[in-house]
Amino acid sequence: MKVEIVTRRDGEQEIVAYDYVPRDDSEKPMILDVLLQAQANGMPDLAFRYGCRARNCGVCTVDINGRPRIACRARIKEGDRISPMATLPALSDLVVRRDGVARQMRGRLATAGQGNDLNVSAPDDYHALTGCIECYACLHECPMHARNFDGGLPDEQAVEDRPDPAEGYTSGNPFSLLKLQRIRIDPLTSEAGKSSALDNAIDLGLDACVGCKGCKCGVGIDLIGKVIWPMLEAAGDRLAEKG
Amino acid sequence: MPIEVDWCDYDVVVVGSGGAGSHAAQAAAATGARVLVVSKDPIGASDTKISEGLATVRESGSDDDSEEILSENLKMAGGDLPLNAITDAFAADSKEAYDIYRRQGLRPEIDDERDIPKPLPLPMGGHTRRRSVGHRNSGIAFGHANWNMIVQGEGIDYLEDSWFLDLVTDQAEAGTDKSVVGGIIYHAALGRLIAVKTSSVVIASGGLSTLYFPKTDTMRGNTGDSYAIAARAGADLVDMEQVQFLPFCLASPPSYEGLLVGEPVTASYLGVLRDKNGKVILDGVFLRTRADCSSAIMRAVEDGRGSPNGGAYLDMTANKRPPRSGPYFMRFVESALPSAYKVARQAMSKAAGNCEEPWEVRPSAHYMMGGIRADEHGASVAGDGDGSAGAGLAGLFTAGQAMGGVFGANRLGSTSLTEGAVFGRRAGEAAAHLARKSATRDTREEAFTPMIENIRRRFGQKGDSAAAVLKLELQKAAWINIGPVRTADRIAEMERVLSDLDAKLDDVAVPGYAEWNQAFIEFEELRNLIASARGVCLASRERDGSLGGHVRMDGKQISAFSKPYSTVVSHSPGGGWRVRRVNRDRTPLKQIIAFKIQDAKRKAAVKWLRMLPAGMQDRALEKKYLAVMGAGGTAKEVMPGGADAAVGEATQA
Repeated sequence: MKVEIVTRRDGEQEIVAYDYVPRDDSEKPMILDVLLQAQANGMPDLAFRYGCRARNCGVCTVDINGRPRIACRARIKEGDRISPMATLPALSDLVVRRDGVARQMRGRLATAGQGNDLNVSAPDDYHALTGCIECYACLHECPMHARNFDGGLPDEQAVEDRPDPAEGYTSGNPFSLLKLQRIRIDPLTSEAGKSSALDNAIDLGLDACVGCKGCKCGVGIDLIGKVIWPMLEAAGDRLAEKG
Repeated sequence: MPIEVDWCDYDVVVVGSGGAGSHAAQAAAATGARVLVVSKDPIGASDTKISEGLATVRESGSDDDSEEILSENLKMAGGDLPLNAITDAFAADSKEAYDIYRRQGLRPEIDDERDIPKPLPLPMGGHTRRRSVGHRNSGIAFGHANWNMIVQGEGIDYLEDSWFLDLVTDQAEAGTDKSVVGGIIYHAALGRLIAVKTSSVVIASGGLSTLYFPKTDTMRGNTGDSYAIAARAGADLVDMEQVQFLPFCLASPPSYEGLLVGEPVTASYLGVLRDKNGKVILDGVFLRTRADCSSAIMRAVEDGRGSPNGGAYLDMTANKRPPRSGPYFMRFVESALPSAYKVARQAMSKAAGNCEEPWEVRPSAHYMMGGIRADEHGASVAGDGDGSAGAGLAGLFTAGQAMGGVFGANRLGSTSLTEGAVFGRRAGEAAAHLARKSATRDTREEAFTPMIENIRRRFGQKGDSAAAVLKLELQKAAWINIGPVRTADRIAEMERVLSDLDAKLDDVAVPGYAEWNQAFIEFEELRNLIASARGVCLASRERDGSLGGHVRMDGKQISAFSKPYSTVVSHSPGGGWRVRRVNRDRTPLKQIIAFKIQDAKRKAAVKWLRMLPAGMQDRALEKKYLAVMGAGGTAKEVMPGGADAAVGEATQA
């Protein structure tokens, strides 16, 4: 099975053809199977992230033909092109720099004011949100996230204009909104905590969700129904005032 | 241009961002210490996040549970290798430590009547009480809590994509023992080295299961970093032969090889293990420990009665068949270990997924029960018996899988998530305490120089070998020689392989560029895997019988009544590797006998159940399930997402 792998060394990008040898006749390999075999067979320094091989850790996301896929649990077919996630800055080969997303949440996750009684069950919607594995597939075509890069992709930007991920991106994304919505529906969050979570969502650019055709979750969480709409609804008047 | 070095200093440095690391960082920061967390994987992407999400919560299942009973369960399961002070600490702190997770947003289902988190309907193997609490989204829910702790953490700075390469030690004054003065970090995303000055380092960077890849169900990052870093700095390692192999993992198809599909408890009342001829090799599976099951499978394999892919068959069809109790069983399997069952359904046939066909299972490396030798505060210890912190490496602390002495020869299900929280917190507090005492000390930059120069020389190293390829060689040899089945000859063969690989390290090609240099990363991880494997070899040689995690084909089963001992492995630059024994306290005879009788009774009760005529058996089982699960038989939704909704499965070839 012939596929293409986009590599990048010391800033130089190259497209490498790789011929995957199936381990048995019926094998329909995952993307990660191809990467592991390539590393063992001719590309020993190939850089890619992976962790659990079971779609739980969220670190192995790559783009297949320009769309994000979780490498350990997405099948690959003849002619596919594997490239690093386009929504984050590329480092080496398929490895992108992820930490600008997490760092934007610093100081925004306060859950202070919780009650002392921890023995309270959470609603189903709460658990739907803690299923997020932080794979960042949801950054794909997100207009809010694109604001960090002048509305485009990080690698299209001039080097001097690129934001420093170490500072945390200023504009949010479905993942950061999910983190905030989780705080809002946690039965143990105080009213002040809930309202500060909404403030943070607005600060991260919730207005970008108005009129957006919507985001897609890598593990099937209903982002629009369980994150975006509840937040837009709660923020409605304030967003309208903002214009 | 050689890779550049940045300097910084912190009160406490925590290596690792999983359950143990995040709890250590938070505990240290809570005392006012300035904390740096160093993580090679993204924050929180650890074994905790990908675990089954079961936590031991004392008293969650019944009021007759106690600290004494929990501590005794751990110690007895561990073959008396765990330290009393450590199992007591685990039992004492387990509820409080779990509540820290809850304050960070972990929300278990609550038993409203008893006003406490609801445990699984059956005790997990080796626990004499129900106290294993399951969670929606399994470990992922814990991952969110750990992530929040570090990302939000006041007083906590963190680096991801950063490999903590080695500890730096120095003498405080001439003639005194060396103590920790800092460490060297490779920040791959920035392409720089970071030299951090600190008096207190908590190593919480996980285990070594990647030594057995792909026959493992854990994170790729488990390259033995914890043990190698500690040993190179002169710390003792304990019980390094005790690698835990989970019995019920997949042997095929290739993309799923090694992944977990069940625990002994999954087998429920009637599940048995069979060899390739259909003969029962272990009954009463749900009451057995993980070690019992792994050992039964591997003995059959060694005897030529293994399944096609080198395992055995877990046969649960008898649970499924009865018309009344069968549906309860299915709900039990679905809800007890949701993510393992999800893997089983995806990877195997539909009939197998419905438990109408036996599952082909093979043990996988899951957890390192040995590790850095420490006391109940996670402080490095050395010396005879339980050891003393005074003799250990001052300034080194540890928690989680990195730490030894907690579980000994067998770790009970659901204990590791609790362990990370309990000892993470203790180690974080102890590390911060030491930092306060050492606040005025001057650190000599010269102590860092030789190490920095060595690392710089690796960038641009010429050679004909690739670390990623040598790693495959190592992994293959490790499964055969120091995997679940061992003999003196195989251990000797492994030591030969390790010497070969060691010699090749200087011939590994590493390009010169600094930013995310994968070859350098592979080199460092290979070096750590080799050092950890050395520890496993030495300790396995010293442990000349079967105990716990592995079977010695050329030795006897070590009895619970014999005098227990632990193995201690250490390394010195001049003297190389050495191994010795330290004595352990045996549980009083009366207690061992009482435990054995209780255990035999429970197993007999199940045997009796299997003998009943079908109709009576069905009704008896229905009653049992009703008693433990309630009439609703809560079948939790398997999350996250269905196959249709998920990006992963949507790309069928």
